[in-house]
Amino acid sequence: MSTRGRVIIQVNDLHHTYLSGTPLEVKALKGVTMEVYEGEVVGIIGRTGAGKSTIVQHFNGLIRKRERGRVVVDGHDMADPSLDVRAVRQKVGLVFQHPEQQLFERLVGDDIAFGPKKMGLPPEVRRERVRWAMEMVGLDFETFKDRFTFSLSGGEMRKVAIAGVLALQPKVLILDESTTGIDPRGRKELLSRMLNLNREHGVTLVFVSSNMEEVAGVADRIYVIDNGRAVMHGTTREIFGQPEALRRYGLGVPHVSAVAHRLSQDGIPVPRVPLTVAEAEEDIWKILNS
Amino acid sequence: MENFEFLRNVTIGQYFQGDSIIHRLDPRAKITVLLILVAVNSFILSFTGNVLLLSLCIALVLLSGISFAFMLSGIKPALPLIAIFALMQLFFYGDAYPPYGMESITYWRWGMMSITNGSIQLVVVTLMRFLEIFFLVSLLTSTTTTTNIAYAIESMLEPFQRLRLPAQEISLIGTIALRFVPIFAEQMEIIMKAQASRGADFGEGGVFQFVKRTRQMVTLIVPLFVDAFRRAEDLILAMDARCYTGGRGRTKIVRFHMGRMDYLFIALTAVFGVLIMVFRDHFPV
Repeated sequence: MSTRGRVIIQVNDLHHTYLSGTPLEVKALKGVTMEVYEGEVVGIIGRTGAGKSTIVQHFNGLIRKRERGRVVVDGHDMADPSLDVRAVRQKVGLVFQHPEQQLFERLVGDDIAFGPKKMGLPPEVRRERVRWAMEMVGLDFETFKDRFTFSLSGGEMRKVAIAGVLALQPKVLILDESTTGIDPRGRKELLSRMLNLNREHGVTLVFVSSNMEEVAGVADRIYVIDNGRAVMHGTTREIFGQPEALRRYGLGVPHVSAVAHRLSQDGIPVPRVPLTVAEAEEDIWKILNS
Repeated sequence: MENFEFLRNVTIGQYFQGDSIIHRLDPRAKITVLLILVAVNSFILSFTGNVLLLSLCIALVLLSGISFAFMLSGIKPALPLIAIFALMQLFFYGDAYPPYGMESITYWRWGMMSITNGSIQLVVVTLMRFLEIFFLVSLLTSTTTTTNIAYAIESMLEPFQRLRLPAQEISLIGTIALRFVPIFAEQMEIIMKAQASRGADFGEGGVFQFVKRTRQMVTLIVPLFVDAFRRAEDLILAMDARCYTGGRGRTKIVRFHMGRMDYLFIALTAVFGVLIMVFRDHFPV
């Protein structure tokens, strides 16, 4: 599981206020401290409006102005005014919720090539990047590169949009609720492809989600965000072993973890907190056999 | 440094909850007052008249309890355009507008360009008139919800329904247009962030590199249009699903009643307007 590499994103006591100085100001972050290690999968969970998106938008410099706190991404202090933000954005790719809404080119290949083109890469390299990115999200290069963007299905459009970010070959990929609104099978496929990206290509994943099942399946470590603060953090098993604490922050645990918790409350010794159905099945067989 | 907070710049059309006298006025009264003052605005060309009207507008803003500085910040995006217009008026309108209430003096002349006290007055007065309208419209939208504005317009257009004027539809179109301004501002912010995340550079290239800047806009405008059409279709479906069949025979859950305060406001504004109109030819400057 998580082999702790070096810290790639370090956040210290981060504060942020939206529309500060206007009657509409909202204090979104009130002192968040967290770090992301190279090569791991970090889950960020919390209820709507907790500040999850605001945090990850600091990771690639979409939000830089802030009153207090420090964000260091891959050795770059994000507050440094001479920093080349575009270089950081190539290292840290951010995929938003409903990313298919950002497509604008007529042809799929051109849209995915937008990032590499902006980086000033030569056409052959661009082509290779597009091919690689499409392969990573599971779109066949030859079949899809000349298709019309707006004639694709919703799921395919989303894959194209994610490929558009992957074509930058980022070290860190942030998925901000990027799997909501697609069918369960497509979601599962996308998740396993993203995990593959992490395992095979060493891309660090930051996974923002409000779907506990999904997070449990992929994350090594989890941060719980509530009301602008990181209120809990630990390995996925540690976090989902505390359903009462999570409930306080308006969150649940995966069904299998909840079942295991109930069993242990009834005095049945459960060896660990299961995170997936397969793990739970294994554990239950163990209990039944003992 | 880029700033993606568009809502900061959209002050017109933004409603702020409050409990001031202005908030509590009947929306029809507010619209009537607005219409009277806009009419007055379009008739006065003198310094004195505009100082009076601008003071009234500022007083109304203060009365509403809405942050004055915030309201002013809404002009910021329009400043370059205002500056260009002001310069053109200053240099090219010198001879077209004799000054109001003063002897004409020419300060500077070069070919077809000139600066006279007439053109200076024109620039200052235009700016004041712009501010007056801006304050009045911002004030209406920031103290009245769009729903209430729509109801008010509908109810004020009702008498014309006999002439087959689709009052309800007109107010509905207006509401939808206003309602979508903040939505599109927000959507634009998201799309801009998404494009920046994959390498787009906004704000790069000087103000006068039109081609470069227009190119950058394509990555925003295409997705924004796609989104607008999608939202429009969703809206049609939602209206259909709730059996919207047009305004005919529709009843309302909210009914407004004009109170004493409302009539008082309209009466005071009307008196102010009449006085200004009567004395407009007697102001010193």
